[in-house]
Amino acid sequence: MSTPDARASLAVQALGVSFGGVRALQDVTLAVDAGEIVGLIGPNGAGKSTLLNCVSGITRPTTGTVRLGDVELAGLRPDQIAAMGLGRVFQHPQVIAELSVLDNLLVASHRRLRFSVLAELVGLPGVRRAEDAARTEALEVARRIGLAGSLDVLTGSVPYGHRKLLELGRVILMGARLLLLDEPIAGLNEGEIEHLADLVLDLRSASGLSILLVEHNMGLVRRLCDRAVVLDAGQVIASGTPDAVLNDPRVLLAYLGEVPADA
Amino acid sequence: MVSPAIPAAARRDRLLVAAVAVFVGAMALFGGGYFVYLLNLIGIFSLVAIGLNILTGFSGQTSLGHAGFFAVGAYASGVLAQRFGLPFWLAIPVAGALATLIGAAIALPALRLKNLYLAIATLGFGIVTQKLIFEWRGVTGGGAGLQVPTPQLFGVPLAEGSRMTWIIWATLLAGTWAASQLASGRTGRALIMLRESEAAAGCIGIHVARYKVVAFALSAFYTAVAGGLYANLVRYINPESFSVNMSIMFLAMIVIGGLGSVRGALLGAAFYVAVPEAVRGFKEAPGLIFGISLMLVMILLPGGLISVFRRRKPARAAAAA
Repeated sequence: MSTPDARASLAVQALGVSFGGVRALQDVTLAVDAGEIVGLIGPNGAGKSTLLNCVSGITRPTTGTVRLGDVELAGLRPDQIAAMGLGRVFQHPQVIAELSVLDNLLVASHRRLRFSVLAELVGLPGVRRAEDAARTEALEVARRIGLAGSLDVLTGSVPYGHRKLLELGRVILMGARLLLLDEPIAGLNEGEIEHLADLVLDLRSASGLSILLVEHNMGLVRRLCDRAVVLDAGQVIASGTPDAVLNDPRVLLAYLGEVPADA
Repeated sequence: MVSPAIPAAARRDRLLVAAVAVFVGAMALFGGGYFVYLLNLIGIFSLVAIGLNILTGFSGQTSLGHAGFFAVGAYASGVLAQRFGLPFWLAIPVAGALATLIGAAIALPALRLKNLYLAIATLGFGIVTQKLIFEWRGVTGGGAGLQVPTPQLFGVPLAEGSRMTWIIWATLLAGTWAASQLASGRTGRALIMLRESEAAAGCIGIHVARYKVVAFALSAFYTAVAGGLYANLVRYINPESFSVNMSIMFLAMIVIGGLGSVRGALLGAAFYVAVPEAVRGFKEAPGLIFGISLMLVMILLPGGLISVFRRRKPARAAAAA
């Protein structure tokens, strides 16, 4: 197992977000240490997506701070945060249907390819070389995640599970150190879930990634996560080991609306 | 799987370019004035369509003001040639550069706008440009129009026969090549990604605002170069031509041809010039027939004319995988 990278840690401190009068997040504090997998769970509308949007720079928090490694993210754009090693896998795969799987992967090589628009327009030789190198890299990633067989296929015609894998491939290509995975197994069949769970564990152990995992499947949270944090109505109501958290009466109440008699 | 597919596609592209070049060359040499006229218009509007497609087809930003950029290119190159005696091959790139700056400047306030709101804002730009040309008589000649001197290359006047056709189509060839480079590379992928989702594009590491500006600037450059060629071709320009109607026609060309495709842009421009000409014989009917043909293309080929060539691609790729 590779050593966890200190730059891969996430610290969310006293985060608050208000949309008009609605307080989507209130005084949320949570941390993902380097090399850790932390589950973020909570009923729909709890504020999980808002939290991810704050971390990735899409939503500006009203109060509080987010730090990636020792860098404060306030005021940075999403692409700047991505450049610092944050990779996000969206709940609904953000793929381009009319491009091939390979081209969709290559979208994530954007920052690695350092030539200018002008160099590309006039077709400087360096551009071709860099593109070829990026292609080779994408091919390796595709092998690693099991998409090597469909690189030439238009993404609109590959199965849903492949599209989710593709997004995971993108964050690997980006060289992300901290991953935000938003319901990565929603809509997948059992075989695909196994494959993805193995991949996530492999990514952590091989590359020392840290992961914040939003998930409704408690089995997966138990299996993958070192710790879990529960969000309800914009506030953290529990955190600890997955087992402890998932048996917490407050959590059961938030999810089920009542505490079972035997809890 | 990956590697053999690329050379095959490249070979096909080269064949296609060669075939078009032979056809255009033959028409320019032997086709006579009428065909030369059509070829010139197709070449010029193809450049516009490529440019507008970068903005609208790739980055997903709709412009209803591209007649404005076309006018900037036409007038800037015309004025530079007429008042300062610049040769056309210098005046047109300078006009293109000016339009690039204007395009980037327009893009900044437009960053906050999307869809119909952006379309209306660009519509405003087109109208303002036309009005400015009308009112700025001292420079543009206002409503009386502007005479553009006959373009010359090495002392040879280009007004006769098909000489301008060679200039126009050489420019188009270079423009098509550059746009294809861009479309299939890093910039093209970034533009399409931000069209699909700005949030996702940002999280992937794409500077969304910068690429929107790049799309506007490039699009303005192509369109203005086309405008410059147009001014040197017709040698008399008048603000009346650069109307909202023209902007809508540009947009129609890229939708008919196929959004997000360089080759589609060429098809759209060819369709837009050739079809009304082909049905000119039907007395009062050309407008009618052309209108109906627009509707038919959109109903039968919602992906544009280019989808005729694309249709079998997914099936073949799936079979290969």
